Amino acid sequence: MGRTKIKIDHSKCGFGVSTDPRDCRRCLFVCDPAILLMHPTLEDHPNPHNPEKWIVDAIWLSLCTGCMRCVNECPEGAIQVFPG
Amino acid sequence: MCKYCLQHGDGGKWYENARLYSDALADEYNLGEYLEEQWKNMETLFIRKIMGFNSIGLGYKMKMPIIGRILRWAVERQIHSESKGRNPVRADGHFGQVLPMEDAIHILGNLAAEPIIKNYCICRYMQRGVKDAVCINFGQLSEVIEKHTRYIPEGVKYKLDREEAIAALEAQNKKGYVASVWFQPVPYINAICSCETPECGGLRLRNDFGLETVYKGEYIINVDIDNCQGCKECVSMCQFSALRYLPSVDRVIVDLNKCFGCGVCRHACDHDALSLIPRDDVPGQAGKY
Repeated sequence: MGRTKIKIDHSKCGFGVSTDPRDCRRCLFVCDPAILLMHPTLEDHPNPHNPEKWIVDAIWLSLCTGCMRCVNECPEGAIQVFPG
Repeated sequence: MCKYCLQHGDGGKWYENARLYSDALADEYNLGEYLEEQWKNMETLFIRKIMGFNSIGLGYKMKMPIIGRILRWAVERQIHSESKGRNPVRADGHFGQVLPMEDAIHILGNLAAEPIIKNYCICRYMQRGVKDAVCINFGQLSEVIEKHTRYIPEGVKYKLDREEAIAALEAQNKKGYVASVWFQPVPYINAICSCETPECGGLRLRNDFGLETVYKGEYIINVDIDNCQGCKECVSMCQFSALRYLPSVDRVIVDLNKCFGCGVCRHACDHDALSLIPRDDVPGQAGKY
């Protein structure tokens, strides 16, 4: 059985670029199995009281159903899904 | 679950033991510090490593021969940890149980330590991108969460008295959210959440990966075959896919193995066909939490 792979380009969606995932959140909204996770990074995290550096990652990969809605919804074209 | 009933519930339901809500207990275990650390870092929970593995692709990792089984063992041990060296940023010892609205109201009305607040569900924000102020927290946890303004709902009253907390819980339950009560960490009880699948971190790990982060409730649903009119309304309420409509017999059937006994489906029934009965009254489900 193949494994689903999902690539998210953090140079298009993330911190320090034009789209902060916390403002957009469209991929999260359209993902029925909710396999994506928006979270602060563990690196460069000096002030956890006010986490500033947020990214979206695909976490629950085995539950991805390959619907491609996130790919189509992302305004930055930052998501690539390779269904397993 | 009965392990926790005997150990922390004096033989009854663990969440009905008033001592587990007390400030004295929180102080005894010095849990203020734990909660502070946990909530400072709550959003990083799923990317933290356990024995070198984080949750990314957890389903695949747990299927790996040998390593998968060791990982499962390590995670279970962490979830139920009562040891002194618990790691707050990994939420060691944080697990809960689904409960019906009546029991949740009893807790909020009689057992929960003040102050009581409601705050944004962090699971739902991180995985669905929705800010939804449905988590009701109490005791020392309220004071911790208040310091972190990102969890505090904007423009609404978030400090609740008991009546307001009950009203909020009731409204959420009727909308279809499942009430759950949480050790955080065991044995201190300080939260009643209104969860939905698949976003709830606890229900996710339980239903999709078989980890015991959330136990099934003390009850189970009973469908009265004579009263059911086959209107299907209840099917849309079930967060666990335990109910299904069968055209051939024009009624709803229930998969008791999936039922968590939350009782949310009852709100949709106009025909008095759904009721909760104690889990132990059903021989095939007794003791299966």
